[in-house]
Amino acid sequence: MNPALIAIVLAIGAGAVVAVSTRDGAAAAIGLAIALVGSALLGDPLPSAAVLGVRVVAALLVATLIRSSMRTGPRQPSPVGWPSEALLATAGAVAGLGIALGLASLAATGGGPVGQPGIGEPGPGGTVGSGDALVTSMALITAAGTSLLAVGVAPLLHGRQGPRRAIGLVLVTQAVLLLRIGIAGPAVELEEIARAALLVVVGATGAALARATAAAAHRLDEGEELPDAEAVDESPHVLLAR
Amino acid sequence: MTLLILAAVALGAGLAAILLAGERRTLALAIGLIGSLAVLALALAMPDTESLIIGGVGMISTPVVRAMAVAWSASLAVLGLLEVAVGGRPTVVGPSLVGLAVAGLALATRDPASSMAALAAGGVAGVVVPGLAGWLDGPDMPSRLPTTSRGTLAILGSGLLGLAVIAWSASAAGPLGGGAIPLDPGAHLSLGLALLTMVAACAIRTGLIPLHVWAARFMEGVSPLAIPAAFAWGSAAFVLVALDWSQVALEPAAAGDAERWLIVIAAMASIVLGGLAAMVHDDIEHVLGYSILQDAGVAVLAFASLDPGVVAAARNWLVASATVKTALAAWASVVRTTYGGHRLDDLGGWARRSPALGVAFAGILVAAIGLPSMALFQARTDLVSSAMPGFGQVVAIIIAAMPAIYLGRIAVAGLAPVSPAVAAGLSGRPRWTGGRAVGWSEGPLTQAIRAIPTELRANRAPLMALGVLVLAVMALLTATGGAGG
Repeated sequence: MNPALIAIVLAIGAGAVVAVSTRDGAAAAIGLAIALVGSALLGDPLPSAAVLGVRVVAALLVATLIRSSMRTGPRQPSPVGWPSEALLATAGAVAGLGIALGLASLAATGGGPVGQPGIGEPGPGGTVGSGDALVTSMALITAAGTSLLAVGVAPLLHGRQGPRRAIGLVLVTQAVLLLRIGIAGPAVELEEIARAALLVVVGATGAALARATAAAAHRLDEGEELPDAEAVDESPHVLLAR
Repeated sequence: MTLLILAAVALGAGLAAILLAGERRTLALAIGLIGSLAVLALALAMPDTESLIIGGVGMISTPVVRAMAVAWSASLAVLGLLEVAVGGRPTVVGPSLVGLAVAGLALATRDPASSMAALAAGGVAGVVVPGLAGWLDGPDMPSRLPTTSRGTLAILGSGLLGLAVIAWSASAAGPLGGGAIPLDPGAHLSLGLALLTMVAACAIRTGLIPLHVWAARFMEGVSPLAIPAAFAWGSAAFVLVALDWSQVALEPAAAGDAERWLIVIAAMASIVLGGLAAMVHDDIEHVLGYSILQDAGVAVLAFASLDPGVVAAARNWLVASATVKTALAAWASVVRTTYGGHRLDDLGGWARRSPALGVAFAGILVAAIGLPSMALFQARTDLVSSAMPGFGQVVAIIIAAMPAIYLGRIAVAGLAPVSPAVAAGLSGRPRWTGGRAVGWSEGPLTQAIRAIPTELRANRAPLMALGVLVLAVMALLTATGGAGG
């Protein structure tokens, strides 16, 4: 059993739940940082120091960018509360484990090559469990990915514009990046750079959109007329909520 | 190595132009222009084939990469000059340079997952920067936020979807079983599913109908100069990477009858409805937008067969149509700046008032339709014929006739009697204001040099028309020669 890997998956889930649930911007940024740095460390064996450095720097940069957008934006806690978000994350992780095991079974049935990175058993890191345990490190990575996906999709697609949607965007992106590794195996170095760049761009974009929303909301609160809202036959507050 | 230097220069100049645009407009424009010219020089100096290994992945610059880099950077330099003349906050050159850098790397990289991640990251700037800072009705209008947000989701979502399908296909449980194409006929269902998912990613990225709502709102909200980077070139790079992956990883066997017809229906919806929408709209930005959607629909037809010859035609089509639509976008922006209007009712006699703009539009019209000897015409015929064997030739001719109608309407408006709005706009004819700066009485040479800024300002409209003319010539050349696909 590799308890460290399981602990990292739990930390990723907990960080994501805090990021989308809390009313406090600083706590949300810390939760996001934990989820992203945890995702960077999720691998057995760990990648090279250079790749690890790129991943961690990108994760911290994203958390900083999101935090910077929260200073002026509205507070957006989860409407369903943290217990529901935690249950959602758990369900996502369990579903991820199920998907990983199902795909492994499919690969075995189809005569897929054994020993290659990805779902094929066992991955480069071997099994996490002992004896007949089939939970590979890749399965845990898949579980972490689906957990982040479950937590991040709702704020991204149905949340109001602002920091919460930015957090959802980052979590969903990180989820897909984890699923990519969980399903197809470790990335080459060039892809690691591209993945880190993508994560930073997503964070910067989410932060820029959140800041623009906060600025528009601030102008509305000051009573400024925004004529283009009338042009599309919707109130400015409705536009900002979309 | 040349490609790597090109990408570094484009990325550096693009990011600098984006970051400086808010506070130092002139400096940002200068950096963008110099960067575009430097990238053009590097693209021209780039050998047709060059390879190197970076981060464990081979990068090979091909004639298509070179053709795209040359056409994109050359048109970008002209767009940069037009942005100077049009005024406002610079939102065109910076994001375009970033997009060009990642597109070049993505097309040269032999690792499709790296390409997808890079394209998703690099394409966002083309939507976010004009969406947040370049909204024509006012940079602080809240209506820009939902559109920009949806655009961001579309760009990132398409990249992530592409990344996911590439990962699934490469996995031991995927359609390729972690190795070669399976011989088991039952596995062809998985192959087809992978192909259709990749086509869906392309549809999201290019804004194919019915996923076009955000694209339509974005195109009517931002400067037409910003549209080529976000749609024409950005979409072209994405479709090229998706096509290369589909052809190499899935092979033509993935496109069975069911998949082929699904792809044809999806593409034809955009071709037919996009063409009809361009015909009925009076707004020139809408005509531009729907014509770009129509072009994307034609390119998606390449997925219906994945034949190497068809993929080569798709390369020619994508690069040529992107160049043509860049020229059309420049024309739309210049018309809007010169005459203030953007509806055909307000643009009566625009070509009479500005003959250079009229000649440029004629060139764009010919390039968009194509002549039978042109690479663009042949590529469209090949793409449609391969997707619809038997009657594809006829359909291709009908599709070619659509630009003749929607661009022909604009041309007819240009030859109509001059409307009051156009008469009140800037004259498109060059003029000499006298050239002597107030209070300046030295020799003629110095006087002439001192007069340059005054004359440039006085001839802003004909100079902008000249820029469109240059782009129209480039469009004709690319439509004739293709991309070496």
